[in-house]
Amino acid sequence: MWANKPKKLKTKLRYSVRGKRFQFFDAQGVDELVSINMALAQELWVVKERQATMEAVAAAKGIVLPEEIEDHEFSDDQKEALEAERKAFIDRIFFILREEAEALEDDLDAEPAAPEVP
Amino acid sequence: MTKYVQHELKVESNKEELARQNFVMGMRSYVLHDMANGMRAAYDAKIEPAFERRQGRKPLDGPEVHKALKNETSFKFYSNMRCNTQEMSFRSVLPAIERNVENLNRKAKTLSQSTEKAAGSVDINSTFEIPKSVANIDVHLMPGSYVTEYAEDDVTQGAVYDNGISVFSMGFFGENLDDIGSTLALYISKKYPDFSPSKILDLGCTIGHNTVPWARTYPEAEVHAIDVAAPALRYGHARAQSQGATVHFHQQSAEATEFEDESFDMIFSSMFLHEVPKDGIHKAFREAHRLLKPGGLMLHMELPPNKMLGAYDAFYMDWDSYYNKEPYYKTFRDMDPVKVCVAAGFKETNFIQYIVPSLGLYGRNAVLDSVKEALTEANENTGRFGDGIMWYSFGAWK
Repeated sequence: MWANKPKKLKTKLRYSVRGKRFQFFDAQGVDELVSINMALAQELWVVKERQATMEAVAAAKGIVLPEEIEDHEFSDDQKEALEAERKAFIDRIFFILREEAEALEDDLDAEPAAPEVP
Repeated sequence: MTKYVQHELKVESNKEELARQNFVMGMRSYVLHDMANGMRAAYDAKIEPAFERRQGRKPLDGPEVHKALKNETSFKFYSNMRCNTQEMSFRSVLPAIERNVENLNRKAKTLSQSTEKAAGSVDINSTFEIPKSVANIDVHLMPGSYVTEYAEDDVTQGAVYDNGISVFSMGFFGENLDDIGSTLALYISKKYPDFSPSKILDLGCTIGHNTVPWARTYPEAEVHAIDVAAPALRYGHARAQSQGATVHFHQQSAEATEFEDESFDMIFSSMFLHEVPKDGIHKAFREAHRLLKPGGLMLHMELPPNKMLGAYDAFYMDWDSYYNKEPYYKTFRDMDPVKVCVAAGFKETNFIQYIVPSLGLYGRNAVLDSVKEALTEANENTGRFGDGIMWYSFGAWK
């Protein structure tokens, strides 16, 4: 969960898909906007699922959440963890832009070609 | 853990990651039903009538539909969001796998060395030349394709496939990702009750998810599986061991294997041929003919060929070839399955093709009923996650 400092990874995997990028809309940037919106919707869903869980857990323990939330202060460690999580969050939502940048390193000629669009 | 990965190589996703996977599954369903239906509606209401007014006839084939449809807004949104949900399927499972690369490799080794539940094997050839068709492209938008290796004796890309496809398939490939193999193995065993293969080969097996059902259906048979991707084979071997199925995995090409003439009774493949360039398909069929004993059976599960489909359905299935980094799909589906078998040495009179209802979705009785009444008409639900799931397969007896 976000409040625990993420462990350092021994092996980093590639998240970007290599090679030619898709573009369906004529106007520049529209495909990216759709990607960004989908990532945004995904993150909102994550929050909704978690909120649903929290409310259920709290209710089971008899805790009244709105008051507790107003009084709450994060510790310095928690603030640091939250900031790291926000950075990762932003990277996820705008991932398409990172993928396009990484694709600049790819050898497009080596990739087998799709059939020509009629 | 990812919903449909049920064996000892499963990795723990945290609640957030699971929520992301749940979202992607929901989006996949939205794109394949709601948006696909919307695109079809736009085609029926606007595009086809306009084409007919201009040309005096309806579109004849997939490319004519594609050309007419590609500037339509619903096509653009469908296509963009299909690409996005495809990429998101794999991305949603990467964090858990990334945390567990070392664990997975350790577990795979332990499973490989244990004979407690199964006595399978994996044989990796360190000098094997991986074809460009797999090495130079992130097939079906899977980062790293099948072949990237992150460590010695790595299984990572096997896990990426297993977990990613679990999200991608939304359960329609079965609780164990083996609905195709389970359905067809049951079908064949009932349709040909006197057929008792003693040696079975799965071509392009990836992680062996559709190989294991053959081992279960024919427990007396010796089961082999080949693929060009080492991480998939290693993962598949460990997975089969975990599930108590004895399968022998080998890193070989279906175009030129190392097996003897007439050494198999049954040769199978599923969702494989569309990833092979045209000349490779011919080679693989000739190789299958060489490997089969007289009286043996070759069976390939795939999406139905374009010749069986109307223009719109052909366009709909060809989409992956243009946009899903599966460039050989259209070439394969433009081929005539009968001609491919005959060119490889099989007799036309021995050609078979079946459309079988999914075991997981419709149940055992539906499969048994289909043995009696052979289905012959393919449509947009055949092989796809449409409003129904039917598996198309073709092949020949030797």
